[in-house]
Amino acid sequence: MVTKSNVGMDVDLGGIAMRNPVNTASGTFGNGRQFEGFYDVGSTLGAITCKGVAAEPWKGNPVPRIAELGGSAILNSVGLQNPGVKEFVRQYGTYLQGLRDKGCAVICQVAGHSVEEYVRAMDLFEELAPFASGFEINISCPNIAAGGAAMGATPQSAAGVMRAVRGHTKRPVVVKMAPRDVAEIGRALESEGADALALINTIPGMSIDVRTRRSKVCRPTAGVSGPAIHAIAVRMVWECAQAVGIPICGIGGISTVDDAAEMILAGATAVSVGTANLYDPTVAARIVRGLEQWASEQGVSHVRELIGAFEC
Amino acid sequence: MTSEHPFEVLTNAHVTKDIWCMTCHTPVAAQIEPGQFVNIAVPGDASHILRIPLSFSAADAQRQTLELVYAVVGEGTSRLSAMRPGEVSTMVGPCGRGWWLPKKSGRALLVAGGVGLPPVVACARMLARSGVGFDAIVGSQTSDRHVEFLLDELRNMPPEQGCDCARKVVVTTDDGTRGIHGFPTDAMAGLMADHPYVQVYTCGPLGLMGGVARIARKRNVACQTSLERMMGCGFGACSCCNVELVSGEYALCCKDGPVFDAEEVAW
Ligand SMILES: Cc1cc2nc3c(=O)[nH]c(=O)nc-3n(C[C@H](O)[C@H](O)[C@H](O)COP(=O)(O)OP(=O)(O)OC[C@H]3O[C@@H](n4cnc5c(N)ncnc54)[C@H](O)[C@@H]3O)c2cc1C
Ligand SMILES: Cc1cc2nc3c(=O)[nH]c(=O)nc-3n(C[C@H](O)[C@H](O)[C@H](O)COP(=O)(O)O)c2cc1C
Ligand code: FES
Repeated sequence: MVTKSNVGMDVDLGGIAMRNPVNTASGTFGNGRQFEGFYDVGSTLGAITCKGVAAEPWKGNPVPRIAELGGSAILNSVGLQNPGVKEFVRQYGTYLQGLRDKGCAVICQVAGHSVEEYVRAMDLFEELAPFASGFEINISCPNIAAGGAAMGATPQSAAGVMRAVRGHTKRPVVVKMAPRDVAEIGRALESEGADALALINTIPGMSIDVRTRRSKVCRPTAGVSGPAIHAIAVRMVWECAQAVGIPICGIGGISTVDDAAEMILAGATAVSVGTANLYDPTVAARIVRGLEQWASEQGVSHVRELIGAFEC
Repeated sequence: MTSEHPFEVLTNAHVTKDIWCMTCHTPVAAQIEPGQFVNIAVPGDASHILRIPLSFSAADAQRQTLELVYAVVGEGTSRLSAMRPGEVSTMVGPCGRGWWLPKKSGRALLVAGGVGLPPVVACARMLARSGVGFDAIVGSQTSDRHVEFLLDELRNMPPEQGCDCARKVVVTTDDGTRGIHGFPTDAMAGLMADHPYVQVYTCGPLGLMGGVARIARKRNVACQTSLERMMGCGFGACSCCNVELVSGEYALCCKDGPVFDAEEVAW
């Protein structure tokens, strides 16, 4: 029998108030609406993070964009296909405002090829997206030729993007980080005014069809995600949490309640479910319920007591 | 709306060569339209995480049964073929946009290749139900890769209203071991010369569908095509199943398709 627990589950992701720690990873949850047939997104999740959107439309990469790797991992090279901020707001604004009204935070992800493009997208969002609880700056996409992961590759370049966008919004800014040098880059982002960090993005990888000698996706290298990367992601969240004072959203291979709980113990304030949404579309809703159960079993009165409660 | 449904295997039998047929009990059968598909979670091996997208050949809304005909080509379909009656799992569906009826009144031509046949049989049922007449060309690599019971279903569906013209079901094989020696496109010219079709429906290998679309276009006949893509989700959440359109834009196979107006596709 399931008894209703009295554990507090609300968390604060750098000024983004979440009713529970469960968020969704950008690019793996559509913009929420695609999941309404599976469960009531707005009254279930703590937050959703929308697909990365740039100032102008981006076409994205050619086919094939995804491959099953076996070993509980997939490879993707979508290349941030998006309709641009204006069209995104036209298509999803009303729906996303509805999520806010139901108590679910909405994080809009900002993409760009250059510092100027991030700023332009940020300005458009500021003007057109009153429904956004906060923004996530994507400086870690491995699947585009310019910008993306290149912008997040060094503490200097990452800080440069953060410095540029900081003056353009008063709402909370999360930075989506690549799986590299997370302590050092995290500190640089914190010192430029980032309100929170989200990590990790996909891990750069390759997969070759040995019969055709071609990449299994449209580019030689692409992003690896799924349960296989979870242990790496937990380690990086832990390293980053040791280095910074701002909250972290833990991402990478979360497919069970225990995976999410592990992230919290490693130091994550919130967690984002990614690839698992694609093949198990109700998983994020189950993790919401399961985390509460776990916190209750741990004997705490609030889930916040478990953030970083890992005992070495 | 696309949702997750349980299913229970009723039968799962080897048909011929690498081809299998599964019937299952699932509530999605009451909602799904011809040409739409389901995305199946195959139990047994957590290391392959993505679902298997499959079209269906028949759906019985009343009895809530779905018939799937599939080729075993790899890890996922091989595990699917190992599912026994009584075993349960889930399927996501109904997915995508299916076939639509011809915009003009008249006869339709169905062209299927290989395991493109199941959704074409579902299309034939839709046409028969609406009183639209059709002929069909069904191709396969070799004689024993034809799915005989689906060919029979095409032949035995009720004839169209007010017309006593016999339905033609033409069989082709790439190696000439049965029917016309060649590809289904080789059989199209003959049929199209004899009949003023108003609509072509096609599903099969990409090269075949491109060829069918070209011939239809040359003769000014509308053509619908059911495309395949590697899929991440099957319901528009990941943008992994892009289809390039002549407009230069990308559509999503799982949401805007799998059935497209062949005129819009950048072959
Ligand atoms: C909308 C849709 C409807 C489909 N309907 C049917 C059907 O009715 N009957 C049927 O037999 N097959 C159908 N397919 C193809 C079927 O989904 C694939 O054959 C299956 O996913 C292969 O999985 P696997 O793990 O066995 O193969 P893998 O081990 O992953 O790969 C084996 C081979 O199959 C190819 N393949 C893998 N995934 C797909 C895919 N999504 N589409 C096409 N080829 C793929 C690979 O490129 C490789 O050559 C459909 C596909 C789509 C997208
Ligand atoms: C199909 C796909 C599309 C993605 N698109 C984006 C994106 O637009 N922006 C982004 O920051 N991350 C994107 N990601 C990365 C995820 O948000 C996440 O960081 C990564 O997949 C690791 O988590 P996971 O293993 O739980 O999927 C994408 C991942 C996948 C699989
Ligand atoms: S398969 Fe995910 S959008 Fe089509």
